[in-house]
Amino acid sequence: MINTILQQIYDLPVSAAIRENVNAFPVLESFHVLAIALVFGTILIVDLRLVGWASHRGSAQRLIAELLPYTWVAFVLAIISGTLMFISNAPAYANNTQFLLKLVAIAVAGLNMAVFHMTAFRKIAEWDESMPTPRAARTAGILSLILWVLVIFLGRWIGFTLEMVF
Amino acid sequence: MSIEVFSEWLYATSFSTGLRETTWAIPTIQSIHIFAISIIIGSALVTELRLAGMFAVDRAVPDVLRRYLPWMGRALAILLLTGLLLVVAEPGRTIGNTVFWIKMALVVGASVVTLKAREPLLRENIVVEGDELAFEGEDRAEASKLLAWFMVLVWCAIVFCGRFIAYT
Repeated sequence: MINTILQQIYDLPVSAAIRENVNAFPVLESFHVLAIALVFGTILIVDLRLVGWASHRGSAQRLIAELLPYTWVAFVLAIISGTLMFISNAPAYANNTQFLLKLVAIAVAGLNMAVFHMTAFRKIAEWDESMPTPRAARTAGILSLILWVLVIFLGRWIGFTLEMVF
Repeated sequence: MSIEVFSEWLYATSFSTGLRETTWAIPTIQSIHIFAISIIIGSALVTELRLAGMFAVDRAVPDVLRRYLPWMGRALAILLLTGLLLVVAEPGRTIGNTVFWIKMALVVGASVVTLKAREPLLRENIVVEGDELAFEGEDRAEASKLLAWFMVLVWCAIVFCGRFIAYT
């Protein structure tokens, strides 16, 4: 069942086009690296602020509000470029441990963000400008840092472990 | 000694061979390399967009630069160190590769602009003009908004060149 779907994705004209055009994959990879650099680079500033590292402004809430749009746009770019790379060789990616672990790491990072928004972020008015930050904020920041570094490492490892199907 | 001979000599050194034969070495070094460029891209985005008047305009330029330039410096050191290791491990992939040298030229160019045109802004005195925070070099910064946008593009081009080295 799942193998049939993966094969159908592989057989899509767009998947074949990506496989057959010599420049398509490097261009997608470049956008993907740029996107993850922007995701990690901007989220790092927020995470370090949550851990207790001063940024360019005192208010954590304003910092989050001004950086998050950049993080989201970059994340969407990463999803689009990542999806296009995935469909070009869907069965290979679906059987790659590093790829599957990377998806888990991204899901856990999302969960971590959701927990932060439901806990420490709700009461951000109480600690907006103060240091040290509350324990829940510090935990969210450290977890986010670890998970995104893990995403970078797993992502790079896919390139060395993927068994291409042609 | 020609560049090909140097490349072959480097390839044959025991250090280079050791890096290639340690299966986890190159993926790990490349991951750290991407980690470092992420810090630079994030810091460059924030500082250059501030200079372009697009980001955190209520904060004075020297205040924003003061937070991010030291991180860019440290990340650049990691970037150059891991990059050097990757060249040593696989000299044939880089030393004779045009894209690699374009990337090096862009890195040098972007670093020089950051050092000569951004770092001195740290020492500008912040003055209060009404409700606005300004600094004495604000007029010059105004004139270099275009340069700020150009710098964002250059850092992005560096990422593209980096990935294309593997394909050229």
